[in-house]
Amino acid sequence: MRIQRISAIFEKDLKDFMKNMMVALLPVTPVLMTLFFNQSGNGGLPVIMHYLIVGITFSVVTSGSIMTILAEENEKHTLRGLIQSPATLWDIIIGKSLVTGLVTVLSLAVSLFIVGIEPFLNFKIIMGIILLFLFFLLLGIGVGLFAKSVASTSAYLMIVMILFGFTPMITLLGIGEGSVIMNIIDMFPLMQVIEMHSAGTWAPLGVLTLWTAASGMFTFVCFQKVMTDD
Amino acid sequence: MNHAVDVKGLRKVFGRSTAVHHVDFQVKQGEIFGLLGPSGSGKTTIVKMLTGELSPTEGDVTVLGRSSERLGTSDFKTKIGILSDNSALYERLTVFDNLKLFCKLYDTPVHQIDVILRDMDLHEEGDKTVAKLSKGMKQRVLLAKALIHKPELVFLDEPTSALDPASMARIHRGLQKLNEAGTTIVLTTHNMEEATELCDRVAFLHQGEFQEIDSPAALRYAYSTHTFHVETFSGEQLVIENEPENAERMKQLIEDGRIKTMQTDHPTLGQIFLKVTGKELV
Ligand SMILES: Nc1ncnc2c1ncn2[C@@H]1O[C@H](COP(=O)(O)OP(=O)(O)OP(=O)(O)O)[C@@H](O)[C@H]1O
Ligand SMILES: [Mg+2]
Repeated sequence: MRIQRISAIFEKDLKDFMKNMMVALLPVTPVLMTLFFNQSGNGGLPVIMHYLIVGITFSVVTSGSIMTILAEENEKHTLRGLIQSPATLWDIIIGKSLVTGLVTVLSLAVSLFIVGIEPFLNFKIIMGIILLFLFFLLLGIGVGLFAKSVASTSAYLMIVMILFGFTPMITLLGIGEGSVIMNIIDMFPLMQVIEMHSAGTWAPLGVLTLWTAASGMFTFVCFQKVMTDD
Repeated sequence: MNHAVDVKGLRKVFGRSTAVHHVDFQVKQGEIFGLLGPSGSGKTTIVKMLTGELSPTEGDVTVLGRSSERLGTSDFKTKIGILSDNSALYERLTVFDNLKLFCKLYDTPVHQIDVILRDMDLHEEGDKTVAKLSKGMKQRVLLAKALIHKPELVFLDEPTSALDPASMARIHRGLQKLNEAGTTIVLTTHNMEEATELCDRVAFLHQGEFQEIDSPAALRYAYSTHTFHVETFSGEQLVIENEPENAERMKQLIEDGRIKTMQTDHPTLGQIFLKVTGKELV
């Protein structure tokens, strides 16, 4: 029953995704950037660039597509039809996330095929990357519901990309090591995965879990607002 | 007999403004019930409280035997059909794909799509992209979406507003057929002719309060002035009260062959509404 509803939403979203130029181009963007990085790095990219590619993919493809899909459903009032149907909140969230998940995996697989997957072949890192994916997914769902129109999502997406997707780039801006800003930025989700890579400790996984939980809370609050009209 | 909808002392307050003041009514099973009122009178707000999309500020709502706290369950949602004032379809997908999604969400066999498309006169349109349909066609697809799972009770918020007379007539025929098959219908409209034609009973809503609630025929009788309007061949306009003492006079007019036209004075629902509320519809 429940599986049937989830798969119905998945099937519909997949068709809709492929016919929506704006969203269908999103997964191509990180791959093009990867090709560009790979070209200029002439063989062997530093490990931090691998993580940057993950950050770009998750922010652009994961957050970007689910955000746009949901904002469109909200703006055009089709979401109301889903809410009026017997589908539960979870059926809707899971059904919608599956398409985004699939597209993210495909896009990331192509990028990692280009630059190599070695840095990630570690159980702890894989756990971290899965949590990071959930963080971006939930954040995208929350923003998509909150934004209410497709036009306004692009501004929010920029913020998500710059803060959470391109975080390693901020560290390259030359802000003094040990300054307050740097300490805060080091706590950001993507930086925590990089920290896990270099330090090999479990602590960053805890911080990452907190980020993901916060993002989940945000999504939950946004959904509650949409579910009732009050 | 159980009522499909039973509402007592219903009130809805948004911030500082009261959209619905203390409303009481019942909808009988198998009935077509119309909520009539001008824009902003609270029709949509009442419907949303009946479908569980809004919670009442005060009062008791029972729909299909369930109290308002239990209107959010999947079980309830499969028993009702909703056409909202802003219902929409997935524009990039075909009519068929739109309906297929809802078939699966409502656990209805997919072959039901063919049946409903035929009922709605849309069987030629199944493979068309929704974006390419006319407004009247889209409205019929939305209706098909609301009815595909054969609900016991349907809520239609302005099902025909802004449609041409032909599309409107098609939808009316569809709704009458549906009702004959036993479905209870609650609809809102500002179209008085629509209400007169379709509804078994109507409620006049004005600024969140019910002014009248009865069958269109009973209302028209109640507000009739009980007079005959007679036009003679010589061009006289006579107004004759429907009283025994006028019988001779009427008889004489008929015997003399002077009557060109004769009408009883039955106001339209629109005229009654104006009289009751001092306000035009629309
Ligand atoms: N979510 C809301 N928040 C605040 N006020 C609202 C909300 N929904 C409706 N209202 C107010 O409640 C009143 C009744 O609105 P409602 O939409 O029920 O009217 P209506 O009879 O359906 O009108 P129409 O014929 O234009 O659809 C209006 O004054 C409206 O501004
Ligand atoms: Mg309305």
